[in-house]
Order: sequence, then structure tokens, then C-alpha cells
Amino acid sequence: MHHVVLDARGLVKRYRRGRAVDGVDLTVRRGERVALLGPNGAGKTTTLMMCLGVVEPDAGTVEILGHRLPRGRVAAMAQVGFAAGYLPLPERLRVREYLRMFGRLYGLAEPDWAAAAGLERFGVAHLGAAMGTELSSGQKTLVGIVKATMHEPALVVLDEPTASLDPDVAQRVRAGLGALSAGRGSALLITSHNMVEVERIAERVVFLSAGRVVADGAPEEVAARFGREDLEEVFLHLAEERSAG
Amino acid sequence: MSVPTVRERVRPLPGPARARPGRARLGRVLTVARRQAFVLQRSPHRLFDVTIWPLVDAVLFGSMAVFFAGGAGGAGPAGAAAGYVLAGIVLWHVVYQAQIAVSTGFLEETWSRNLLNLMVTPLREVEYLAGVALFGLVKLALGVGVVALVALGFYAFDVTDLGFGLLPVIALLLVAGWAISLTVIGLVLRFGTGAEALAWGILFVVMPLSGVFYPVGALPGFLRPVAALLPTTHAFAAARELLDGGPAPWRELGLATLTTLLATAAAMAFVVRMLKVFRRRGYISRHV
Repeated sequence: MHHVVLDARGLVKRYRRGRAVDGVDLTVRRGERVALLGPNGAGKTTTLMMCLGVVEPDAGTVEILGHRLPRGRVAAMAQVGFAAGYLPLPERLRVREYLRMFGRLYGLAEPDWAAAAGLERFGVAHLGAAMGTELSSGQKTLVGIVKATMHEPALVVLDEPTASLDPDVAQRVRAGLGALSAGRGSALLITSHNMVEVERIAERVVFLSAGRVVADGAPEEVAARFGREDLEEVFLHLAEERSAG
Repeated sequence: MSVPTVRERVRPLPGPARARPGRARLGRVLTVARRQAFVLQRSPHRLFDVTIWPLVDAVLFGSMAVFFAGGAGGAGPAGAAAGYVLAGIVLWHVVYQAQIAVSTGFLEETWSRNLLNLMVTPLREVEYLAGVALFGLVKLALGVGVVALVALGFYAFDVTDLGFGLLPVIALLLVAGWAISLTVIGLVLRFGTGAEALAWGILFVVMPLSGVFYPVGALPGFLRPVAALLPTTHAFAAARELLDGGPAPWRELGLATLTTLLATAAAMAFVVRMLKVFRRRGYISRHV
């Protein structure tokens, strides 16, 4: 069994405006809950997209459960779930149909069962028959998270997962993800601008600034390393540093 | 950086059962096809492409054909031309429906911002295209069926009179339509949804050059070499030979097969190249 779920080494991505990602190493182990943090333009989403094989790095390698991207993309993606707060649900599908579709794409033998269990896990079983257009933005986000976790993948990647959620729903999401991580051993890799949220869910944070890893460790360790009280202050410090630089 | 406790504390439970690889692949293809079926079922305006447009085309070109043939008493070259026009519009819809079904199937994923969701699943590109093309066959049957029925009902033109020789012509036009759609998908991957107008527009370039309603000898001289390179040109020429009641048009069918294979290979190479550019330049950001 692979204990390292995601192993990204020396990732570099250059765009016309400059280097978006500049030599990022990122390792996520089985069952680990990691937050990728940093101010806007730090390179978080580009790093995630490279880790998911959607964007090709200019340099560096990505392996998921030992499958090297891009060659091993299909085998790797069967063990990955992804959701982003900014992605809508296709309008012309019911929630149940949407989840069945992705269950089949993930290769599940009984996608309806997995969809029902997923909806139950996040407390939205009543949404199964709803059309995508009938959902609030928070409900869409929840359904997206159900989609990302219904196949109980080894790695769940969530880009701004709780941005549009009420605090009680966000709490439900954290509980569901925590249960998945502890029970199934799924690793979580999330990005968020909500530092309070991050401190509640992540046991390790990786701070990016100007495309480089500037801190990697437990939230309290990282805050202490920067001489700050909490992650929010570290975030503000890095953002100020970036605007000053 | 290390979190040594994780390995010990986690004891993974068996996850949901997975289908066998072959069954999973088939399941993915059928799922993509079913998704396209939902889009058509729940977007009545999408039925325009497979009902109204074929109906309008059949009435427009059928009436023109009857007018010109009527002027000549329905016989002679004018009568033959009327048959060419009616056969042309029926067979043109094979290319049109095959192309539009796959192109708009892909565009639907960009319009609904579903592309990123699909790219982070085990779905292979070829499985996706197979699923879209599979449901495209249903749309093609609907669209071509409408044109053929209108031609028969309104103008007494039965396309099946062309006989079994029609089957390879239809197969070649189908593959040619898919090759055009791959080119459109490649252009959308490279230039974004701004290139979506090509999904329809490219057909208006191919149609006159292919001699859908007339032999390409009627084209201006400088366009004829271009027309000769198109697989559709030879397929329509073969159809006209069938309509004239001549022997099996092996030469045109051979040329159509050769150019279809070349065009398909070129379109596949183009879309693979554009997908690589899409990934290298991070164009997914245009679709989220």
C-alpha cells in the first residue's frame, strides 16, 4: 500500500506574466489533512491543477499513488476526487443523475448506492431529486463535495470548498470530510482563504507566496515560525510582503 | 513537515465496489451518451438542429429542385439536377448531424463549465468522444430521417432508391462529419469558446466545396483542386453516380475512403496537439 498519496517534486509553471509556480514540492500522505494556503496569485490553483494533471508543468513531476502523470492519469484519477466552490452543477441534470454520472465515470459498480451514501454523509439526502437550477449556491457546493467523495478516493482535492456555506453547513462538511479521512484513510488537500476554517480542518498547512513554498508544518508551528498568533496573521503578513515586494 | 502519526492511525476500510475495467470503460462511454441525451431532452431548443433545420432545408432545397425540374418538364439534365439536389440535401444532413452532434456535445461541457470536472475523472478522451458520437448517431437518425421523409412525402424522392451503394456513402460522410467535429474541438481547445461559431460556420465552407448539389466541375477552376482534397466531394460524386444508375462507383468510393482516412488522421493529430497545448498553457482557466 502506498503511504504517500500525492508526491509532487520541483513543480515549475511559467506564464507570460512570469513564474506562477517556482519549484514547489508537495507531499500528502494517506489520511493526512493538508491545506494549501497563500494570497491571491501565490500559485495555489496552478499547483492544484498540475497535481490533478489538468495543467502540464514546465518542470517537475507529479505522482499519485505511484502513478506518474500524465501517463498514469487514468489510474490516478480513479483515486482522486475534486470539487471547487466556483464550479457550478450542470443545469440540465437532477442531483441524483449528476452523481450517478460521476459515479460511473469513477468506475463504481453501484453508483446509486454510493450517491445515496454520499448525500447522507453530508446531510443532504433530500436533494437527490432536485434539478441543479433549483439549488442554492451552498447546496451546489455540498453536492459538488458529495461528487468528489462518493467513491471514497485516496485523495480529495477541494478548492475553496466552504466559501459559500453557512457556518453550520460548513461544520457539517468538516465533520463529513473528517469522517472520510479517519474511516477510509482519504487524504485531503484543500485551499481556502478562511484561516479559521483551515485551523479547524487541517493538521498541516503549506503556505505559498510568489509561487514558492514559504512554510510547511502544523498550523501552530507555522504561526510560531513567523512570530504570529495564528494563520490569519501569517496570511496577512505574506500578503503585505507580496504587495510591498 | 512529516506527520508520523497518520500512517499508524489510519486503517482504510474497503470503499464502494468498483466495476471491472472493461465494464467501467463501457459504463463511461454510455454515461457520456446518457448525459447528452439529458441535454437534448431538457433543452427543447436543441431539437431545432434535428427537426426544424432539417425540415427547412428539405423544403427549401426540395422546392428549388422541383422548380428547376418543372421548368424543363421534369426530364433531361434539369430533372437529373433535381435528383442531385434532393439526394444532396438528404446526404448533407449526415455530415451536418454527425458534425454538429459531436461539436455541440463538447461545447455543452464548456457552456456548463463541466470541463474541469470531467478532466479530473478517469474518463479517457477517446471514451468521451465515443459517448458523444454514440448519442450523435441518435440525433443523426432523427435529423436525416426528417429530411428523408420530407423528400419522400413532399417531393416523391426516395433516397433508398440509390440502393445498397448508399451505405458506404453514408458511412464515409459520417466519418467525415466526425473528422470536421474533431477539428472544431481542437480549435475550441486552442482559442476558447470564441471559436464556437466554427461549429456551424465551418460547414458553410465545406458544403459548396464538396459539390453537394452539383459536380465540382461547376466550381471556379481555382477551387477545384481544393474540392478534390475533401472526402465529402468524392462521397457526393459517388452518390450522384448511383443516382444516375451507373455501375458501382468504385473509383469515387476509393478516393472518398482514402481522403476520409487522411482527413480523420489529420483531425485526430490536430486535436491531440491542441489538447497538449491546452494543458501546457493552462487554458482550463478559460472554462472555470
